[in-house]
Amino acid sequence: MEVLSQAIEYAATNSDRFWEAVRVHVSISLYALLIAVVICVPLGIVCAKKQWLSGPIMGLFNSLRVIPSLAVLVILLPLIGTGFTPALVALTLLACPPVLINTYMGFRSVEPSIIEAASGMGMSGGRIMRKVELPLALPLLLSGVKTAAVEVIASATLAAFIGGGGLGTFIINGLGMYKFSLLLVGAIPVALLAILSEIGFALIERVSTRYAR
Amino acid sequence: MKKRLMTIASVILGAALVLSACSGSGSNGKPVVKVGSKNFTESLILGEMYALALENHGYKVDRKLNLGGTLVAHEALKKGDIDFYPEYTGTGLINVLELPPKSDAKEVYDEVSKGYKEKFNLIWLEPTNANDSQGLVTTKKVAEQYNLYKISDLSKVAPQLNLAAVPEFEEREDGLKGLNAFYGKMDFKSIKMFDYGIKYRVILDGQADVTVGFTTDGDLTNKDLVLLEDDKGFWPPYFVAPVIRSELNDKDPEIAKVLNEISARLDNETVQKLNAQVDIDKKEYAEVAKAFLQEQGLLK
Repeated sequence: MEVLSQAIEYAATNSDRFWEAVRVHVSISLYALLIAVVICVPLGIVCAKKQWLSGPIMGLFNSLRVIPSLAVLVILLPLIGTGFTPALVALTLLACPPVLINTYMGFRSVEPSIIEAASGMGMSGGRIMRKVELPLALPLLLSGVKTAAVEVIASATLAAFIGGGGLGTFIINGLGMYKFSLLLVGAIPVALLAILSEIGFALIERVSTRYAR
Repeated sequence: MKKRLMTIASVILGAALVLSACSGSGSNGKPVVKVGSKNFTESLILGEMYALALENHGYKVDRKLNLGGTLVAHEALKKGDIDFYPEYTGTGLINVLELPPKSDAKEVYDEVSKGYKEKFNLIWLEPTNANDSQGLVTTKKVAEQYNLYKISDLSKVAPQLNLAAVPEFEEREDGLKGLNAFYGKMDFKSIKMFDYGIKYRVILDGQADVTVGFTTDGDLTNKDLVLLEDDKGFWPPYFVAPVIRSELNDKDPEIAKVLNEISARLDNETVQKLNAQVDIDKKEYAEVAKAFLQEQGLLK
């Protein structure tokens, strides 16, 4: 308990640095997630439509995912240096597979008979996508984004190793210095952010699937 | 057939039992020694040296090198997950025992020895002559541009410079906090943290201007880097020495003898050269450790 109050006190006395770290952590996670969604949702849809593409594309992203994020940072070092950008790339790679796979699964799970019925009613391809396929695939797609978000928020602590900043800074310092309170200054907000994103996406899921209830 | 299977199974089971019974100690009755180290080049080299020398004396060694920072290594030692690891007197004094800094090497060593024994029942073995103190490092270009060679010059030009900090530096009393109190506030344009392995690269690439060095860093042999003089004498001595659990030390005093033999052969220059072989020449730390011991005649 004492450790906790020390942690809070630290955050209060160093509020500039603390909020800056939170801001960097949130923005790096958000950007990584957005980029992953922009790249992987269309790719997932393409994979679902064109079966022969799904093998190579999914394989590629999954194999990239296998490289530990820390190793990705090291590999990128000579190419794009240090700081925000390489951390963003590593986190984007981490976020891609769940989004990709869930998009793919979501669109694959739409019954062909439903699409057939829609086109029988005279809907155009684009309309079927917007009005039928996307709403049906959305729950799975969103849960993929949710998984990715939690992973990214937790892993964004790694950015601190290469000058990317974020809450990992406090964790690394606390770990090195034998100071649990400092470690908590980083760890608790990371956990809270992860939980918040979980709740946030759960809400979005609820709202977006209202039609089903 | 069935009987045969039973025999084989019982032989395997028996062997497993015997093996597991032995795992607590080496085959010749000597204990298995669990060697730890922290997560940077120098500590890894030292840990490997200790491990090799003990193996050479017939001990079984369990290497638990590359533990995180001070916190992880110290906790592991207290719990008995490791039996000893190399620690720095200054770090023990300021960060573990949380005592005020001192500048006399002998006094610091005596104080940490006493404090560790009383508080944790841990023993500081004989120290090396390698003082891995901290320092601020800049590039030759920046030094010439700002006429920056001493830390006392830094507070004036700090607002124009970016600092590449390393883990712990911003938080430690013997880091930026204490430095600000001692030399006057240094208001750097920006402070970003980088891992130890890339800090010199960051300033050599111009992504920052000043970084934190350790005085035994191999990279400091590089002519393009300038170690700023600690002209007011801020940093305490950081002599490295193995810290060992006292039960093991009492049980088997030969271990201390083996380790002390290595410590006696290490000074600043030697350690800097060893670090350089890993950090600059990109050799494996295990090879570097082995080659050094062979050269010193400590390894058959």
